[in-house]
Amino acid sequence: MNRVMRELASLPRDARDTLFLLCVIGLILLPQIENLPWWCSALTAMVLLWRASLAVQARPLPSRWWRLALLALILGATYATHRTLLGRDAGVTLIVSLLALKTLELRARRDAFVIFFLGFFAMLTNFFYSQSLLTAFTMLLALLGLLTALVNAHMPVGRPPLMQAARTAGWMVLAGAPIMLALFLLFPRFAPLWGTPSDAMVGRSGLSNSMRVGTIAELALDDRIAARIKFEDGRAPPQSQLYFRGPVLAQFDGREWTALPSWARGAQWSSNLRVSGSPVRYEVTLEASNRPWLLTLDVAQRPPEVPGFEVSGTPDLQWFASRPINDLVRYSAESYTQFQSGPLKRVGGQLQAYLALPPGTNPRTAALAAEMRADPALAQADTQAFVQAALRRLRTGGYTYTLEPGVYGNDTADEFWFDRKEGFCEHIASAFVVLMRNLGIPSRIVTGYQGGELNSVDNFWIVRQSDAHAWAEVWQEGTGWTRVDPTGSVAPGRIGQFQRLSPQPGLFAGAIGSMSPTLAQNLRAVWEAVNNGWNQWVLNYTQSRQLNLLKNIGFEAPSIEDLGYVLLYLLVAASLAGAGWTLWERSRHDPWLRLLGQARARLAKAGLKLPETTPPRQMAQEADARFGPAARSVRDWLLKLEAQRYAPASPQSLSALRGEFRRIAWPSANPARG
Amino acid sequence: MNPVGVLRSRIDGWFLSRRAPSDTLELTQRNVYILPTRAGWTLGATLLVLLIASINYQLNLGYLLTFLLAGSVAVGMHVCHGTLRGLAMHMMQPEAHYAGAAAVFRVVLHNTRRRVRYGIGMAVRGSGQWAWTDVPAEGTSTVEIAFQPERRGLHPVPPLTAETRFPLGTFRVWTVWRPAAQMLVYPAPEAHPPPLPPGEPLSGPAALTASMRAHNAGEYDGVRAYRRGDPLKLVVWKKAARAQATGSEDLVSRDTQQAQREELWLDAQATGLADTEGRLSRLCAWVLMADRLGVDYGLRVAGRVVKPSQGEAHRRACLEALALC
Repeated sequence: MNRVMRELASLPRDARDTLFLLCVIGLILLPQIENLPWWCSALTAMVLLWRASLAVQARPLPSRWWRLALLALILGATYATHRTLLGRDAGVTLIVSLLALKTLELRARRDAFVIFFLGFFAMLTNFFYSQSLLTAFTMLLALLGLLTALVNAHMPVGRPPLMQAARTAGWMVLAGAPIMLALFLLFPRFAPLWGTPSDAMVGRSGLSNSMRVGTIAELALDDRIAARIKFEDGRAPPQSQLYFRGPVLAQFDGREWTALPSWARGAQWSSNLRVSGSPVRYEVTLEASNRPWLLTLDVAQRPPEVPGFEVSGTPDLQWFASRPINDLVRYSAESYTQFQSGPLKRVGGQLQAYLALPPGTNPRTAALAAEMRADPALAQADTQAFVQAALRRLRTGGYTYTLEPGVYGNDTADEFWFDRKEGFCEHIASAFVVLMRNLGIPSRIVTGYQGGELNSVDNFWIVRQSDAHAWAEVWQEGTGWTRVDPTGSVAPGRIGQFQRLSPQPGLFAGAIGSMSPTLAQNLRAVWEAVNNGWNQWVLNYTQSRQLNLLKNIGFEAPSIEDLGYVLLYLLVAASLAGAGWTLWERSRHDPWLRLLGQARARLAKAGLKLPETTPPRQMAQEADARFGPAARSVRDWLLKLEAQRYAPASPQSLSALRGEFRRIAWPSANPARG
Repeated sequence: MNPVGVLRSRIDGWFLSRRAPSDTLELTQRNVYILPTRAGWTLGATLLVLLIASINYQLNLGYLLTFLLAGSVAVGMHVCHGTLRGLAMHMMQPEAHYAGAAAVFRVVLHNTRRRVRYGIGMAVRGSGQWAWTDVPAEGTSTVEIAFQPERRGLHPVPPLTAETRFPLGTFRVWTVWRPAAQMLVYPAPEAHPPPLPPGEPLSGPAALTASMRAHNAGEYDGVRAYRRGDPLKLVVWKKAARAQATGSEDLVSRDTQQAQREELWLDAQATGLADTEGRLSRLCAWVLMADRLGVDYGLRVAGRVVKPSQGEAHRRACLEALALC
């Protein structure tokens, strides 16, 4: 380690600066690796390492042909990967590759600047994929590094330590932070100036608009946060009632559940929602899902108000935004946990779509349904009784709930009911609905999230991707659609979060967890509270918040223009402060020089004009020559002034000399001697 | 010259004439100028693109990055201006130089601030020959500015300029300074001058003194430059050794007879050239040659006469006469 440090310290300045810049570029590109095509990451790493070895060995840079060949390769590979050179992802790939390629051409000052500017772009592209606190911190470091390299490039003399440049860069960033804050708070937030390409929406997963058996199990391993809920006055319903409604799926092809097309749902009837009890009010901070649906607690009667979006509802009680949620949004909503919906009576073939099954699939489940129908105990049974019978079978038939159900074959319901007897919520819900439909009971699958956990630090409920859940709704004459959660019968603990199935913790988290489970929990709670603060105050700082800010500082009815005015006022105030500072700085001359200047002015008034650079001793001599004995006290005073500045131990303080300056007799304009 | 060029040089002249020449210049708000560089404009464009990307992709972190960068650049502008503002520059009295030879001005920079001022470049205005320096905190540093005097004579020091792009290179901060100092430029010595002219016979009282001196001293030796065919015993070996020690190959011979009767006059007429500057060049070369040989020499040029003598002061007097005639 020491040897490496010594070798680094002995590198010539050029090599050292190049290595530092390459490290900063590496830091900028590192968080992107997983989002880039593999060839791009590999090529970039290779070019940077190659450049570093050239710098260390002080070998010449490769010729122009090398660069042109690499450029052609990059363009070709980008086109092959993305089928375009435009758009977001292709742009990011190009910027990253070009940034690396440009390091092979660090000759003129202009080349260096191109690197810096490409570097700033590359930093921004990180935010397409993550705007987390960690990313922000990494990029702050990278910005400091890039500015340090830029400052260092403008120190042409000698081999200044990098720390010197880093200090200047740090000071600039620190002093620039208030400007950033003012602009961030007050720069008016616009809607996108033009439509962003559609590939901006990929890369974030979560619930999807279809459910292939097995997909939610994948989500169970995903610890990312889907939404944060803040209940009004902290009055949250019991955890077992926290069903957050997502896509409703009613069309089954044997393996995959999808939403009914709107024509099949029958546009003529409304949701016909009937609620009871008192509503729960809450605020949702929804993470970007790149899907248009809005998460609400089951069930919201009125559309949630989402700033910047138009919201519409569907008959199956789902709320949609006018465009995909590709950034954090926050909205408030009101829900009733007790409700029924849908038609009370079947009219015609209205609910036929909720009975459809692909022909020839799951024959044993169909047989089971026939068996149940033939069961004398259920001879006159209504829907409710069939549901109870099915749930009883789940409870008592030796079925288990597992995170690793294995790969299911074609007849998923058959396999679940008879062979494997274990599954995740989607297996259970899917098999349950298939059974219900075989029994002639209209039923459908609702996906969403169930549960969540309360962060005791900031009292937000946190809903994670791992809380993703699938349950069923069955239709019953006279009551309409009713929620049935078959998973609750298999594993009562799943509903209500008392014993969640959770994947094995990683090595580090495991170590902390085994030392002190509460410590791990508390650390996580604090970290998530910090993250939430970051989301609430930084990532979710929107136009409405800007206007609220103006309202708080005294605007009656703030508008976008007012933001501009406030910025303008701040600018004027800053300019005035700057002018004041300059005046103050100008007055801050050396007091000794000021006193000498006053003496010079007095002598000039007496007729002895001396240039500004005359030192006190020479002034004394000149005054002596001009005025003779009349200027003796002046001469003595000037010599004392000199001694005050230059004698090893100052005999007199400056203020004493200033007092003396006022007392002594200065020669008059009519000199005693010709 | 095109009209734009004429206008530009006019404005330039007016701009320069506004400043009173002085050997000490303290840089303040009034004489320090600032403009963005090309890199600065490019960075501005970069910031704009970053802002548009932040708006279009609704990236609040993008806004933060853009504004932090903008804030840093704004602070950088202030730091850049502050690098020159408050600096005091003092011109050292320039030494005399030969026309056409590389020469330097020395400028002392005083920094009263508690922070180092980095990356200050100085040059003769328009020459592009930058000399870079850092000025330590509460200290001074001396810059040597290279220049090449073109014509002989006594000239004012050309206008100088100090510039810095520290810290980000996005702004150029500069000042223009007319030092009051004058510099003396000697003619350029001819590269391959012919040998020194022969001495002139002494006449009048000077001849009498010389002969008396010769008489009294018995055998007074003068010296002259070695000529081909001089016997080796006439070479003054002591002087030869000294001359070789200083890197010169010139030999000196004893001049027993002529020294008493002749003295060396470097005369413009004797150069055999019609062109005035050519004559001065040759005379300059001869002065230097005679000085190196350590012989007495006098100078007659354009009505000025410097009596024969030798030594540093004498040489300087001769060169001055050549520079100013």
